[in-house]
Amino acid sequence: MSVLFGLYQAEKGSIKINGNPVKINNPNDASTLKIGMVHQHFKLVHNFTVLESIILGRETVNMGILKKDDARKKVIALSERYKLKIDPDAYISDITVGMQQRVEILKMLYSDSEILIFDEPTAVLTPQEIEELMKIMKELVSEGKSIVFISHKLNEIKEAADRCTVLRKGKYIGTVDVETTTKEQMSEMMVGRKINFNIEKEDIETGNAILEVKNLTVKAKNSKKNIVNDVSFSAKAGEILCIAGIDGNGQSELVYGITGLIPIKEGQVLIKGKDITKEPVRKKSLDGMSHIPEDRHRHGLVLDFDLKQNSVLQTYFQPRFQKNGFIKFNAVKEYAKKLIKQYDIRSPRDEDSIVRNMSGGNQQKLIIARELDKDPDIVIAVQPTRGLDIGATEYIHKQLIAQRDQGKAVLLVSLELDEVMDVSDRILVIYEGEIVGDLDPKEITVEELGLYMAGSKRSDKNEKN
Amino acid sequence: MSTVYFIAQQTMYFAIPLLIVALGGMFSERSGIVNIALEGIMVIGAFFGIGFIHIFQNSMSGQSLLLLAVLVSALAGAIFSLFHAFAAINLRADQTISGTALNMLAPAFAVYTARMIQGVQQIQFMDTFYIRSVPILGDIPILGPILFKNAYITTYIGLLIAIASWFVINHTRFGLRLRACGEHPQAADSVGINVYRIRYAGVIISGILAGIGGLTFVVPTSTNFNATVAGYGFLAIAVLIFGQWRTKKVFVAAFFFGIMKTFASAYSGIPFLKGLPISNEVYKMIPYIATLIVLTFSSKNSQAPRAEGIPYDKGSR
Amino acid sequence: MRRTRLLQYEEFTSFLSSLMAILAGLLVGLVILLISNAEDAFPAFLTILKGGFTDGTKGLAQVIYFAIPIIMTGLSVGFAFKTGLFNIGASGQFTMGAFVAIYIGIKWTFVPEGIHWLVALLGAMAAGAVWGSGPGILKAFFNVNEVITSIMMNYIGMYLVNMSIVKTVYDSLKNQTKPVLKSAVLPKAGMDKLFNTSNVSIGIFIVILAVIVIYIILQKTTFGYELKACGSNKEASRYAGINEKKSLILSMVIAGALSGLGGGLLYLSGSGKYIHVLDVLAPEGFSGISVALLGMSHPIGVFLAGLFIAHLEVGGFNIQLYNFVPEIIDMIIAVIIYCGAFALLFKQIIKRLLFKPVEEKAQDVKEPVKSSVISDDDYPVKPDVEEGIQTEMGAGNESPVVDTKTEENDTVQREEDI
Repeated sequence: MSVLFGLYQAEKGSIKINGNPVKINNPNDASTLKIGMVHQHFKLVHNFTVLESIILGRETVNMGILKKDDARKKVIALSERYKLKIDPDAYISDITVGMQQRVEILKMLYSDSEILIFDEPTAVLTPQEIEELMKIMKELVSEGKSIVFISHKLNEIKEAADRCTVLRKGKYIGTVDVETTTKEQMSEMMVGRKINFNIEKEDIETGNAILEVKNLTVKAKNSKKNIVNDVSFSAKAGEILCIAGIDGNGQSELVYGITGLIPIKEGQVLIKGKDITKEPVRKKSLDGMSHIPEDRHRHGLVLDFDLKQNSVLQTYFQPRFQKNGFIKFNAVKEYAKKLIKQYDIRSPRDEDSIVRNMSGGNQQKLIIARELDKDPDIVIAVQPTRGLDIGATEYIHKQLIAQRDQGKAVLLVSLELDEVMDVSDRILVIYEGEIVGDLDPKEITVEELGLYMAGSKRSDKNEKN
Repeated sequence: MSTVYFIAQQTMYFAIPLLIVALGGMFSERSGIVNIALEGIMVIGAFFGIGFIHIFQNSMSGQSLLLLAVLVSALAGAIFSLFHAFAAINLRADQTISGTALNMLAPAFAVYTARMIQGVQQIQFMDTFYIRSVPILGDIPILGPILFKNAYITTYIGLLIAIASWFVINHTRFGLRLRACGEHPQAADSVGINVYRIRYAGVIISGILAGIGGLTFVVPTSTNFNATVAGYGFLAIAVLIFGQWRTKKVFVAAFFFGIMKTFASAYSGIPFLKGLPISNEVYKMIPYIATLIVLTFSSKNSQAPRAEGIPYDKGSR
Repeated sequence: MRRTRLLQYEEFTSFLSSLMAILAGLLVGLVILLISNAEDAFPAFLTILKGGFTDGTKGLAQVIYFAIPIIMTGLSVGFAFKTGLFNIGASGQFTMGAFVAIYIGIKWTFVPEGIHWLVALLGAMAAGAVWGSGPGILKAFFNVNEVITSIMMNYIGMYLVNMSIVKTVYDSLKNQTKPVLKSAVLPKAGMDKLFNTSNVSIGIFIVILAVIVIYIILQKTTFGYELKACGSNKEASRYAGINEKKSLILSMVIAGALSGLGGGLLYLSGSGKYIHVLDVLAPEGFSGISVALLGMSHPIGVFLAGLFIAHLEVGGFNIQLYNFVPEIIDMIIAVIIYCGAFALLFKQIIKRLLFKPVEEKAQDVKEPVKSSVISDDDYPVKPDVEEGIQTEMGAGNESPVVDTKTEENDTVQREEDI
């Protein structure tokens, strides 16, 4: 889509509009060709008014001076014609996300776009706003516009689309007629057939709840929506509990809230019965929580530090690594060496390597080594195998299972269906900030899981036992 | 009453340069480029402006000479600011370091060149620009003595700049696009605006205004230029922050500091204050202490342009 | 082979970019000299380069004399840089330190003679520390930009000191501070015979001590570890449970103490230096910025950079013989700093050039390996979690290079596995 809109350049292939091949080098070209785009992350200036946002780049002027009156008339006319309710003088930061999106749509219509691209438009909308958007899209289509609507949510595709083209891993899979294709069929095209890893996993008895989350609610930064909405669950000893969901449904914020990296609006977090909700990050760690973060560069590592310095990021203050404020370098070095050996971490200069120069896989192994070596009670691992090769992935899965076998609780957050199905003992599906299903991987199919993740299926909100 | 007029007139001498330079900073920062080189640009502007006057004051005098000097200062400031623009925009360098380097370069350059050419550091000039009273306008009761007596034409230039700035930022296409570049350059880029070009414009405008500001600072308050503007460039940044990057508030802030500065240097002319046993130095400190206090309370809800200081890279999303 | 190449380029490119900046500055200086007076330009330039060596040991002593205060302010600015702060307030801290040192040196007659100078220096450090804490506290608790607050503190400090001098230790005839008592002057410890001039003291040893102490703090302590983590990646340090506010304030306190000490060392050197009661900010504070940038904020680098700039300054002082104005040195240094601002970019360019061979190799391997595995990656590329989150680090430009490199190196990794 970025190629269509001129933000990126394609290496191969062609684009044709009305049968004519075209070259799109920048957004102005796209605009001239009447292609418009509503981005997933709105490109709106927070302190502009709605009117100013719509006319930016296409202003009507008289010798450089803005002529807002004519523009206003046109905008209001468009707004009425397509039933896009907006307030021209409101500031972007004050309006709802739904209205912001309508502003983005009006931007397209203001420049007379005929081909409208919507990139994951419902990711940030509430259910009511989604309904309104569906209506708007149908209205636009009835006026002769062409819409390319990117989504992975099957019920929305079913409701709004006429045809559906499925892409998987950058490759074209096929185009179907939406009305005659079932959701299961589309889900299978999206998800594909997979080769199961043979993961050795014994059944073991689960013990007491180690991590308990009660009514956790996290507010979104820039909208009124709750990104995490009244979530409750517990992770038991000897269990790998997986939070499965499509990216952007609140799982990241859920983890940040539990670990203390962002503030929570409501709710409690307990480890082995102790309320740690208000504790500082370090205390949570000392109380038995290990966190393998989603973004290894942002949270997990200090890239400018070397391997041994990063290996003690969570533990440098302990007596084994420092005395009276002076770092015991030998101890740190030996520790790093131990981790390197135990977890097979490869790097240009071993414990002296600057972490920035290590491969992603090995950086991740370092984080995992560090966090698991703390001997935590609960391991929170968020997309731990993202970007890694089979070998590293397999290794990490083994580690997590080993933790679970030792009686720890593992909270795994993942988008990889394989990982979710084969590694976890229990699956909680998160959709739009809420838990919509508590599933047993042995009893459901991948396709079913896909449906839950896409929001098409929900089970009882309460956790099953 | 004459005291009040005196205060008002003195305030003009201090507030107007602050206003002009702060507005210059506003254009730069609202386009997304942090410009702490305003001090250096003022020095360069003053140097070339005063130098121009010094050279030509035997053949020209009065307002025409001053107006030409203003143009010279503006040009000098613009060219000097290009160094900052280039480093910040093309090379994506650290804008604070680039600004500091220019602040160091300017006075050294001024001293060096002055001494190499004329042997001494100070550049003298004759003040033939003093306006005792503007005909007709100076006789208006109250407003006359405040605005139109004991004035310089630079005061009126400053006020014009303020009005023009407000208009350009809020009512022109250029202003709208400039603001977009400083808040959300990706949004501007996505509608086809050339962020780099706009940012260059923002920095050059700051160069022009800071250059004029430097000249405006020296002319009413001295008869020579001594390679310094006494930290005014930095005070202007504080005014900008205090004014929350908005023209009207910057105007108020500039005058607030102007009054502070007036008390600091002209309090001996105010009978009431002269009597108090407060040392001269305390008065001089007041504008700076006031700045600190003001900033402490206004930084929490800063309305700083969101993208300022972050080099724009088209490749990153 | 890969090992040594990497070793060389990390530290080497830093050094190389500093060197390039220096050369650029000197070149500009030469050009200016040529423009001003072509005839004497080259001899003058050579004089600048020779610096302190022109006058033998006396010249060297002069270099050390100039170097002492700016190494201290350089350490101050550099230390603050490590925590991600720009300490442009070194001037104010320096001046406060100088005043307190002089005050103690004149007024505190009750202090035993042997340690009078030591007490004065400690006082200077304390004064600087207090002055540095201001911007630190304002930034930590009120989010006020430390550049502006530091600049304000510079001016307030200057006026405060001027006022205090007039009230306490004023020589009204010369408009400067009175001379300090002999017991407060830094001991010479035989250096004057060594260098054949009275313009020396043990100050240089104190500076070296400071360099070592700062080096130890940064490299060997948990405190230094925390400071560097905060300066390098605020988010990760929060993940690590580090108290950023505490680190920030302590960092500024230490930086202030260093600058204050610099002030004390200069004015207690017994070389006839007095604080003039003028509305002029201490230039040593700004030289400190140049020294810190040139020395890449590393204590040893700062030490060498300070000596280098002092060397140039002595050279600049000497070119007055040729009727050139010494301010040219400031111009040269300003150009060096300006070039230093994009030394980072220069480093990235070199890194990219050095990494290219590895990337190309990785691309060949990608195809065959992928076909044997069909794993699930069906969902769109992860959007940013919060609005405006940047997965960029540090200078803000390195991440794109890092990310692609990560994927490529993963593939290289695969090759090694198979």
